[in-house]
Amino acid sequence: MDKILTVCPYCGCGCGLYLHVENGSISGVSPSRSHPVNRGSLCIKGWNAHEFVTHPERLRYPLIREDSYLRKVGWDEALGFISSRLKKIKKIHGPDSISIISSAKCTNEENYLMMKFARAVIGTNNIDHCARLCHSSTVGGLATTFGSGAMTNSISEIADAKTLFVIGSNTIEQHPMVAMYIFEAIEKGATLIVADPRKIRLAEFSHIHLRHRCGTDTALLMGIMNSIVAEGLVDIDFVKKRTENFDSFRKILKRYTPDVVEGITGIHADDIRKVARLYAMEKRSMLFYSMGITQHITGVDNVKACANLVMLTGHIGLPSSGLNPLRGQNNVQGACDMGALPDVYSGYQFVKDPIVRRKFKRIWGVNLPEKSGLTMMEMVEKAYKGELKAMYIMGENPLLSNPYSDYTREALQRLELLVVQDIFLNETAQYADVILPAASFAEKDGTFTNTERRIQLIRKATAPVGESKPDWEIICELSSMMGYEMNYRGTYEIMEEVALLTPIYGGILHHRLNTGLGLQWPCPSTDHPGTPYLHRKKFARGLGTFMPVDFIPPDEPPNDEFPMILTTGRIYSRYHTTTMCGRTTVLEREEPEPFIEVNPSDAEKLKIKNRDSVKVTSKRGSIRLNAYITTTVPEGTVFIPFHYSVAPANALTNPALDPEVKIPELKVCAVKVEPL
Amino acid sequence: MKPTELILYKDHLSYWLRQLRKERELIGPLRGEETDIVFKSVENIHDIVLDLPAILPTVKEFLFPQYEPMFKYLMTDEVVDLRDNTKRVIFGVRSCDVTALTLLDKFFLDGYKDPFYEERRNETVLISIVCGRPEPECFCAGLNTGPYLEKGFDVQLTDLGDRFFVQVGSPKGHSAVMRFSFLFRKPYKADYEDQYEVFLSSKATSQKRISLEGARQLILSGKVKDDFWRMISDKCFECGGCVYQCPLCTCFTVTDRVFGDIIERVRLWDACLFKGFTRLAGGILPNEERYLRTKRWFYHKLIYYPDALNGFGCVGCGRCTIACPTKIDMASVITRLKVTAGSEG
Repeated sequence: MDKILTVCPYCGCGCGLYLHVENGSISGVSPSRSHPVNRGSLCIKGWNAHEFVTHPERLRYPLIREDSYLRKVGWDEALGFISSRLKKIKKIHGPDSISIISSAKCTNEENYLMMKFARAVIGTNNIDHCARLCHSSTVGGLATTFGSGAMTNSISEIADAKTLFVIGSNTIEQHPMVAMYIFEAIEKGATLIVADPRKIRLAEFSHIHLRHRCGTDTALLMGIMNSIVAEGLVDIDFVKKRTENFDSFRKILKRYTPDVVEGITGIHADDIRKVARLYAMEKRSMLFYSMGITQHITGVDNVKACANLVMLTGHIGLPSSGLNPLRGQNNVQGACDMGALPDVYSGYQFVKDPIVRRKFKRIWGVNLPEKSGLTMMEMVEKAYKGELKAMYIMGENPLLSNPYSDYTREALQRLELLVVQDIFLNETAQYADVILPAASFAEKDGTFTNTERRIQLIRKATAPVGESKPDWEIICELSSMMGYEMNYRGTYEIMEEVALLTPIYGGILHHRLNTGLGLQWPCPSTDHPGTPYLHRKKFARGLGTFMPVDFIPPDEPPNDEFPMILTTGRIYSRYHTTTMCGRTTVLEREEPEPFIEVNPSDAEKLKIKNRDSVKVTSKRGSIRLNAYITTTVPEGTVFIPFHYSVAPANALTNPALDPEVKIPELKVCAVKVEPL
Repeated sequence: MKPTELILYKDHLSYWLRQLRKERELIGPLRGEETDIVFKSVENIHDIVLDLPAILPTVKEFLFPQYEPMFKYLMTDEVVDLRDNTKRVIFGVRSCDVTALTLLDKFFLDGYKDPFYEERRNETVLISIVCGRPEPECFCAGLNTGPYLEKGFDVQLTDLGDRFFVQVGSPKGHSAVMRFSFLFRKPYKADYEDQYEVFLSSKATSQKRISLEGARQLILSGKVKDDFWRMISDKCFECGGCVYQCPLCTCFTVTDRVFGDIIERVRLWDACLFKGFTRLAGGILPNEERYLRTKRWFYHKLIYYPDALNGFGCVGCGRCTIACPTKIDMASVITRLKVTAGSEG
């Protein structure tokens, strides 16, 4: 029996857990008691993080599609096939006809190599990953305001906060260990404010629950700020010394009086004032947000509004005081940090900056593309139009996670070459020309970066199943086959290259991570202890910038034909497209069937009872599933978790994009619900 | 049978364990990251941690693993038994866990004998160490489930500084000690005095008292209404941590895995805190409301366990206090139970 310390592969909390290995296979899981995030606890997913690793449906060897069936092939044949097809497509259509989707489930080292593969081997900046669908608004919005798009505090600091303002995050279900600290703070007397149209579980414990209309977050935040200014609660010293552009922001802010905002959001003006006071008057105030803020056509504006709020009150740059986007995937922070994005290299160094490009060119030894690449949704659009010829997807399932699945499916089918590299044959892989079997988190080494910027080692516990290989090895072999030698003896060598090229990871080396429980970036040098909270004396970009934002309503308001608002999200026992949870006995059993939450008064109007089958239709598609009648959703709004391939919520969702970062508006679209 | 009592000098501990390891897998408490302690195979005997905190990980998994392959069925109609028959000796076990095993024995072996548990149990020798420094979470002393046991152990050690006071309490323990009798000597009067000193001080420091019997009587009196369980369960994350970490929780589910021509049957830890645990055909969930599940867990520990197995389903190990993200653990729930029932007369 061996016990291997590693990191949970589910959410961004990044809990430390031991994998128990008996007779060469995993026999259990236990939490690390001294871990700074989970302190001996785990959620239901963490406790069951081992079972899928040896599931019979794991991909065990490479497959190539031949007509309608998948033929088992050797690695040489599979990689040879991909290499020659990619080279041909690149030669005929140019490097920008190829795109890469990297993975927030994979390690930092793998994301770095994938981004190097796209830029140095293929010669394109067309690389993106699922952060586009979750926190691209954060990366974009906070880059312009603060200069750094990440959680500013550490998770353990939450316990000492006095006011907790949670907007658009279903924290108990999606970041259980963050919720654990929120409860500890409440126990110590903190005030909890929750803003969410749904009566999520956390709202039961809030002192104030603001149920604003879906998609009116900017207005709500502007109203709160207007009230803060009107009541003289601004941290004037902070605004003067640490920020710029306040005056132009203030001009717009004047229009958002609590009464005006009440009209937009449906929140009583007095409640807006109350929240303003509660949030502004306590020094240790923490603001948390997640998909409820980011997944809108105004995602970036929403994030900027949050940033404006913390700057206005000076609630940033201190322990237990800051702006905290809760990142979703186990390594979505890391995948962004590693530059698996179309406009930046690792460490958010801009592709368009010639000095940065020169630096990467010197180490990588090739000319690098100057133009920013395509985002995820643009890739799909170009594929649909036939302008994009090949797509290489590592550890993602866009068919289920992207909005408007029919469109995505058609786009994938139009590709000349689709390569999917995954641990299971997911929905997207069913359209792939080549499928490469990857090793799971328990079968490889590397690092994950959690939502509090903590870079932690994951360690190989067992040998990869079948002929599967760690993603980084696959990328290295393919790259070498395509004529660009990638030769690393282990993931520690890759991290050394990351550290060389990436200032915020400058002191991150595996031997430093091998003892202790991780380091938090920025960590610029090998003697640097890491940074528990950001922006202490100055913002990453120098001065914080107030960005004027204006309320823009959702792209698709309800109308006569589609009278209800659909909002989507996740549930506790499932994770994203459920490739892993769906293959875990007790997780699968919790909520085996898809459902739609309907308010009782809507149910009465529609003449549906609990567990009745209903048909839900939007402009883009239609699905059938059972109704779950609950007051969790307000009247006129329905909620569907997007996990289920038998009734994919994303068959309905709106692909309208935020103009700046191209995140789709997954949180609001118009639907009609009909009984069956 | 009065346990055989001996003295083992710490200088001879590694020699003894090394001899035991020649025949068995030696499991011991080793340092994980930071202050973590984990039970795993001992590579280097000198890495075994002797200065241990009171609360160690449960050793339940060595007898009843979280994921346990049971058998393989081949399409040729052949069945391959996958029962684990590794011989193990586990060093450093806590008394509370030893007590828990005597109850698990009743559960798994009285009447129908669970062959998987039986095999592992028969092949495992436990060397427990009397706990000298209880942690704020644990409360074995008031329950007589520790820190010092009179019976039920294979070998019990009491740390006397430079030597261990050794008590042998079972034939398995006897064999593990007596074959190396040259390492041990008979205790002198001073040894007994030192041992009594440790016994007293460990008793004196174990101050946390939780009366399971008192809680049981309160529940049976009908004074504890469902509102109490609603209040207790409202923060439950349904993680299953209390169940997984409890040395006395035994729920499992069984699943079949089809690998081409081979079907493997596996059993896995399950938890009554999950709403799917009692899912019926047609999607009916008798315990959909969270409080019903929390209530049942406490009822199982405090009512059903004593009724069926003549012992509480709790040994005061304090692991649920650590595992629960929102502190819905045995100790604090009983405290709240008494306060609530008290205030309502």
